[in-house]
Amino acid sequence: MSEKHLSSQFDSDLNGISSQLMEMGGLVEIQIQRAIEALARFSTVLADEVVADEDRVDAMEVTIDRALTSVVARRQPAARDLRFLLAVSKITTNLERAGDEAHKIARRVKSIVEGGEIRNMPIGDLHLAFDLATDLIHRALDAFARLDVNAAVSIMKEDNIIDREFKGFTRKLITYMMEDPRTISHSLDLLFLAKAVERIGDHAKNIAEFIIYIVKGTDVRHSSLTHIESVIQ
Amino acid sequence: MGGSLVGDVFNMNSHSSPALRQAFFLRRKRINRVALTLSLIAMLFGVFWLAWILWETVRLGLGGASLALFALDTPPPNAEGGLRNAMLGSFLMVALATCVGTPIGILSGIYLAEYQERSRLAGCVRFINDLLLSAPSIIIGLFIYATVVVYSRQFSGWAGVAALALIVIPIVVRTTENMLALVPASLREAAYALGAPKWKVISAVTLKAARAGVLTGILLAVARISGETAPLLFTALNNQFWKVGLDGPVANLPVTILQFAMSPYENWQQLAWCGVFLLTLAVLGLNILARFLSRHK
Amino acid sequence: MMQNTVPIANPLSGAFSGTGARAVPVSFPGPLPGVPPASVSEPLINPATTGKDAPAKIAVQNLNFYYGRTQALKEISLEIPAYRVTAFIGPSGCGKSTLLRTFNRMFELYPDQRAEGSILLDGENLLTSKRDVALIRARVGMVFQKPTPFPMSIFDNIAFGARLFEPLSLIDMEERVEWALRKAALWEEVKDKLSSSGMSLSGGQQQRLCIARAIAVKPELLLLDEPCSALDPISTARIEELIAELKNDYTVIIVTHNMQQAARVSDYTAYMYLGSLVEFGETEQIFFKPRRQETEDYITGRFG
Repeated sequence: MSEKHLSSQFDSDLNGISSQLMEMGGLVEIQIQRAIEALARFSTVLADEVVADEDRVDAMEVTIDRALTSVVARRQPAARDLRFLLAVSKITTNLERAGDEAHKIARRVKSIVEGGEIRNMPIGDLHLAFDLATDLIHRALDAFARLDVNAAVSIMKEDNIIDREFKGFTRKLITYMMEDPRTISHSLDLLFLAKAVERIGDHAKNIAEFIIYIVKGTDVRHSSLTHIESVIQ
Repeated sequence: MGGSLVGDVFNMNSHSSPALRQAFFLRRKRINRVALTLSLIAMLFGVFWLAWILWETVRLGLGGASLALFALDTPPPNAEGGLRNAMLGSFLMVALATCVGTPIGILSGIYLAEYQERSRLAGCVRFINDLLLSAPSIIIGLFIYATVVVYSRQFSGWAGVAALALIVIPIVVRTTENMLALVPASLREAAYALGAPKWKVISAVTLKAARAGVLTGILLAVARISGETAPLLFTALNNQFWKVGLDGPVANLPVTILQFAMSPYENWQQLAWCGVFLLTLAVLGLNILARFLSRHK
Repeated sequence: MMQNTVPIANPLSGAFSGTGARAVPVSFPGPLPGVPPASVSEPLINPATTGKDAPAKIAVQNLNFYYGRTQALKEISLEIPAYRVTAFIGPSGCGKSTLLRTFNRMFELYPDQRAEGSILLDGENLLTSKRDVALIRARVGMVFQKPTPFPMSIFDNIAFGARLFEPLSLIDMEERVEWALRKAALWEEVKDKLSSSGMSLSGGQQQRLCIARAIAVKPELLLLDEPCSALDPISTARIEELIAELKNDYTVIIVTHNMQQAARVSDYTAYMYLGSLVEFGETEQIFFKPRRQETEDYITGRFG
């Protein structure tokens, strides 16, 4: 954050929280990448790693929450500092949930692999969404580090693409299932995976909203893109 | 070389060796003890003389004290007598001088502190008042002699009262002004903030807050004039007869003490000591009262 | 309780003091009764400096203030809403206390201080008013940083101001004293020792005594100049609680060094710096998302 507080201890507390959040974000990013790779390669080893990382992410969330509590209790933050701390609290929750989605993907991959029928999964259709979601989380963390509201807005726009992809994919799966009821169980697996990816995109979007909240002091959740753009101007 | 320099700087910033610290500490302790001893000696020197004076006063004064002191008037040489007339005269003049000087002093003090703190007139008044405060009392005695006694063609108790009042006024002015200045401005502002007019603020709040100090000043003034000899020498003179009133020469303790102590007669000298003792007692009492008042509101 | 039995004999206290005040709703539909409409309906002031939801009790316009040749306030314009708590914050020497002290013309006690511009109290310019300043001060009560009990009994402390303006009988005065002490949340603690000295109370009690003393005159406006800076946290909490109560009946302005205190007690906050008004707005907005960067820096402790 710009300019220093009179209390350098306050600065270092905030910086500590910032870097812990980035660290947690890095972990979640790796989880998501590994989960997607596990799916692409039907690798139970990678899936296990994702599952194993879950505990570390959870622990980081607890650590950051404790640091937030301490700063709030001891410094009575106001204005930008207050918004920053509130936003960090929400962002950790979103990161943790994004990690949860990666975790779900990994477990589903394991169950698919253990079920044995992996050949005829049309996962290629999901690639675009997967790549976008990973990218969005990465860029959301990046935008947080730089408190870049314009980057935040473009993230929110791109999340809409994922949502559209998800809707199209769902329709496609429904067609499959109607054509051939034997594909129903595979299709449900795929639907589940697609939903997880869509959720990850949503979490990235939420993080972007909190970046705007920190910088502009406006809560842009549940508001239209045009309104958000007017806020930023 | 550079390395050792850096090392020294580093050492200065870190703690010096315990032995060095111990040496510094002992040195400081020694200096402390020497300073304490010197001031103790100075104090004992002062107290010694004071104690001696008090002791002599009590010894010689109490020696001749009897009821006759309060019952009989100043006697002729080698006859029995007391100090009744001198006590009454002193009391009357001191009381009257206080009654005259105090209101004038307090009002002037209020003027200086509350009304015209920074005007030129106030500066002049303050300066002259300080001059009066430190002027030898004999000058005041001579002044009253020249202005009152010479014109009325007789020494009188009234002239004595005037001289004593002139001594009271500057003391009371000074203490009143100082004590009022000590009243915190916020108290004054608080009273004004309620919409109180100036006279009300002064009479009900600031003067009341400064009451103990002002009273102390008055008492100190009384203590001072009750022992003044010089102004009375030129004004009230003395009188060896019992008289209630202030016309003509009036007997009083300080002048009586002076006269009797300088005399060759044994009984007069004894009475002078008694007078000294009584005066000391009265002044001591007033001082203690002043202390008490300034401590308790 | 007592309030209903106290006769509103004070002709100075205007339409909003006393019993009537309780019935006045928070927001007025139109111009205030008994108030020249100028202060409400005319857009006297830059809207950016105005608290919107309540009518202005005091409207300051282009106020400049000088200590001798030093200018301490520069072109201050703001409107203090009625029946709200407004806090002035800012670093030492920013002029917040100076501004407060213009509202009861306290500065006139000191010959080298002067104010230019206008301060409208219900539309009447205090600075040019022909009325006796004592009458203005009866409408504008003030409590100071250090508790200032007068050297007299608790009862006389409270009665001091009321006696100046109202010829109350002893019984009426007793009622008034009890009413003021109850308002200041001090009655229960002192009711058995009304005749003992005001100096004998604790610091927090003395400060509440001063608030009671100011209230006893039935002012419309209450100025608090860092009222808690000499008090411990518990006494401070009491006073803050009291301030929240007082705004039902009075327009309260508080100067404080303690930003958290301003955040806790006030509805509106003005941030001042170097004699200028930097920002004035709702407290929540000031402490959450100030409009000006300078305000934000000060609020978050980046000032330096």
